Amino acid sequence: MSNNIFSVSYFLEIFPKVVGKLDVTLYLTLIAMICALILGTILAIIAFYRVPVLYQISRVYIAFMRGTPAAPQLFFFYYGLALISTTITNMSATTAVAIIISLNMGAFMSESIRAALMSVDVGQREAAASLGMNGLQTVIRVILPQAIRVALPPLFNDIINIIKMTSLAFMLGVKDIMGVGRSEAALSLRYFETYAAIMIVYFVVIMIFSFFSKKLEKICNEAY
Amino acid sequence: MIQVDHLYKKFDENTEVLKDINLHISKNEVVSILGPSGTGKSTLLRCLNYLCVPTKGVIRIGDTTVDAEHHKKSDVRALRRHSSMVFQNYNLFKNMTALQNVMEALIQVQKKSKKEAEERAIELLEKVGMADRKDFYPSKLSGGQQQRVGIARALAVSPDVILFDEPTSALDPELVGEVLNTIQKIAEDGATMILVTHEIRFAREVSSRVLFMDEGRIAADGKPEDIISHPQNPRLQQFLKYFAQT
Ligand SMILES: Nc1ncnc2c1ncn2[C@@H]1O[C@H](COP(=O)(O)OP(=O)(O)OP(=O)(O)O)[C@@H](O)[C@H]1O
Ligand SMILES: [Mg+2]
Repeated sequence: MSNNIFSVSYFLEIFPKVVGKLDVTLYLTLIAMICALILGTILAIIAFYRVPVLYQISRVYIAFMRGTPAAPQLFFFYYGLALISTTITNMSATTAVAIIISLNMGAFMSESIRAALMSVDVGQREAAASLGMNGLQTVIRVILPQAIRVALPPLFNDIINIIKMTSLAFMLGVKDIMGVGRSEAALSLRYFETYAAIMIVYFVVIMIFSFFSKKLEKICNEAY
Repeated sequence: MIQVDHLYKKFDENTEVLKDINLHISKNEVVSILGPSGTGKSTLLRCLNYLCVPTKGVIRIGDTTVDAEHHKKSDVRALRRHSSMVFQNYNLFKNMTALQNVMEALIQVQKKSKKEAEERAIELLEKVGMADRKDFYPSKLSGGQQQRVGIARALAVSPDVILFDEPTSALDPELVGEVLNTIQKIAEDGATMILVTHEIRFAREVSSRVLFMDEGRIAADGKPEDIISHPQNPRLQQFLKYFAQT
């Protein structure tokens, strides 16, 4: 192995190791995305209907989650709250990361979804009411189909942020793309090659995701 | 068939928009409501189907009576089944084609089969001259075309009364005619209608009765000849003179 600043042979060696942990990153992303979407939808509906008490609580929650970085949230939860909760003490690091990303990004997603719900003009809601449709029918038949189209671009953006945010998982010792690369680099001291490999893997994943999300947006926009 | 007793509406403490409205409208009447801007014409119309909840008063349409001071959700829904509304800005469902817009309430509210709803919807679209555009989304239709679909949609639920709130004021002048013709046709079919409009000449032609609203009250009520051609009320005279100029 040469001692050049960038060793191609080391890069070719580390790259498959990093790619080998892609399943952990994608699994974390998928779980966090689903939970964040569910949480975001619930928070958005609370905001849309201004459900008393819950609305005020959710505003504080969202402000807090958006106003603090994910890294301290992660430590606060996994090491701080673990002192008072055995559930958290016994929790796997991966689960803890998934929970924090969901709680954090759920707050962001709720804003994307809420804005989309609001984007359907009140006139259409009045038209539905004047025809005798009830609230649920109006939401399912009129508001949601239009809101989804508006929500897609910001939600895709939020999902890209989730993919990136999973790279914090190493802080709790999770061996994902970032985690495994970091321990390899600590042994080999080959930072250039290792982190280049890591970034390339994230970049390719996000590019593939963007490609399909653009396609989907286009299909939705052509609908009407 | 429509009975309004002591209807009041306040949006806030100081502004009483409707002040003791009393009104009886019989089947097959075509009632136009005229009046200066901000006198509560839209508010009155919207109170009739509770898009706007009155502060006080009783509204009866058909066999449903709703008292504002203790109304239930189910009362409101029952009341709405007796009427339908045509909006100034059409308010078509943007995610549905013209045909789907007309079918929607037939399927969701009247629980008709898809086939039955479609047949009825096409019939109505033919009546408003929009059958050839039935598969167009609202974004691909002109204002006048959208409004005609809006009228078909309002007719679909076989309402006892159709409420029109300035159905032509958002339209380009050259498109007003097609919508007025459609409304006239429906009036000739014997529909009961309440029509808020600034088209004085049309109101005179189409209606069997004209109301003049002023500052939250019905200030004049009578046959179109009397109200429009021989106005007695000084405010009404002034209002008509203003329109004659423009
Ligand atoms: N949602 C609302 N909240 C507060 N005030 C309102 C609301 N809707 C209407 N108003 C007020 O009530 C009054 C009557 O309004 P309305 O829309 O019924 O008038 P209108 O006779 O239909 O006028 P126009 O010819 O301009 O349509 C106006 O002064 C208006 O500002
Ligand atoms: Mg009005």
